[in-house]
Amino acid sequence: MSRNLIILTFTAIVLMLFQVLILKYFVLFGVGFCFLYLMFLLFLPLEIGFASAMVIGLIAGLIVDLFYNTLGIHAFACVLIMFLRPYWMKWSKPRSGYEVNDLPMITNYGLGWFVIYALPLIFIHTLTVFLIESGGNQLMGLSILKSIVTTLISLVFMIAIQYLFYSKAKR
Amino acid sequence: MGQLFSFLYKYRAFFTFLTLELLCIWMIVRNNNYQRAAYFSAASGFVGNVNERTNNISDYFSLKKVNSDLAEENAMLRTLLLRATETPIDSLKAFDIDTDTTDAIHYKLIAAEIVDNSIRLSHNFFKINKGSKDGIKPGMGVISQKGVVGKIRTVTKNYSSGISLLNSRNQVSAKLKNSNRTATIQWDGDGRNPRIAKLLYITREDDVNVGDTVVTSSFNAVYPKDIMIGTVASVKPDQNQRDLEIEVALSVDFGTLAYVYVIENIYKNEEDSVSINNPIDFNE
Repeated sequence: MSRNLIILTFTAIVLMLFQVLILKYFVLFGVGFCFLYLMFLLFLPLEIGFASAMVIGLIAGLIVDLFYNTLGIHAFACVLIMFLRPYWMKWSKPRSGYEVNDLPMITNYGLGWFVIYALPLIFIHTLTVFLIESGGNQLMGLSILKSIVTTLISLVFMIAIQYLFYSKAKR
Repeated sequence: MGQLFSFLYKYRAFFTFLTLELLCIWMIVRNNNYQRAAYFSAASGFVGNVNERTNNISDYFSLKKVNSDLAEENAMLRTLLLRATETPIDSLKAFDIDTDTTDAIHYKLIAAEIVDNSIRLSHNFFKINKGSKDGIKPGMGVISQKGVVGKIRTVTKNYSSGISLLNSRNQVSAKLKNSNRTATIQWDGDGRNPRIAKLLYITREDDVNVGDTVVTSSFNAVYPKDIMIGTVASVKPDQNQRDLEIEVALSVDFGTLAYVYVIENIYKNEEDSVSINNPIDFNE
């Protein structure tokens, strides 16, 4: 458990810094952004509980918002996915079920499961962010395009980083 | 009560979620200009719609008063018409000739109906049933037949919302008709008296009497000059013994306000750009 705590804390700090200092300026063709900090929210264990997960999401979103000058928008989307996440986790349960001490990441449950788990949540997050940002439904097409591209880029980054930096836990 | 608590407890996750999301929405609306504009234009469009429906019903009850007001105004316009067209020179009847250029027109009036109006708050706003579709833009002045009403602030397609004269943040450039002394009209939000406003920055040397007329000055591009604001109701020196503390009885009765005119100043852009292109620290 303490190992998980260290992994989570370290991931949170590094990803937040990376997000607000570097990825903020990363834009692909004007439509592809990268919200890598979501990886830390996705890594939170299922046992953490509704309320604390949403509060952590709120805080993470607010920190990102402060640097993006969009106070409240990321926080809104983060709280939304943290609310939906437990339901989605139950629904997309791997065949062997969840282990208590395993964080939901590729090294523990495999790539296929992680994509199924992460893709809809990231998509909901990005779609929410871009829809609120456009302030209505006039730019619907552009918002959807942006969120699809952003989701794919974020997911690719997340998978690559997990393969590069997270070794398999010793059993 | 116990059932209520058990209900809240059972769905605590959802209620936590709701609370946090409301907090986020509040922050978004509070801190992001663009999202705030989108929110308010959607909200005011909806509210305007509802208000107009209720107003349609309540209009019937004030028809008599509105009729008499309109008749009064008709009579006044008729007298104006008579006075304007016939200018006797050398015992001949001369008539004004309308020029065929638009130079002669400085202001255009757009008639509108008030669909929502508050008078009891410290920052009052009103809403009219004309919007960008009818050529209304933010910053236009609004008058009624009795005098100054306020200024348009936000415009949606069919409705506009304006800042009323009864708003402590709305200052209007005014002057005393007798002495041509310019001053500022500001409504005192704490007094909460919708019939009285304050006339500021008149020094003690000036001779101001109860009953003097206060009209708009020509120092702004919003209202034409000499639009009625009110009459002086009381004069006394203020606590600092520097200015006069003047209370003005407003000529418009905001409680019964129903029909107004929005003023389009055709030269507003030009007037404003002259002031902008003439900064204070311009030294050459």
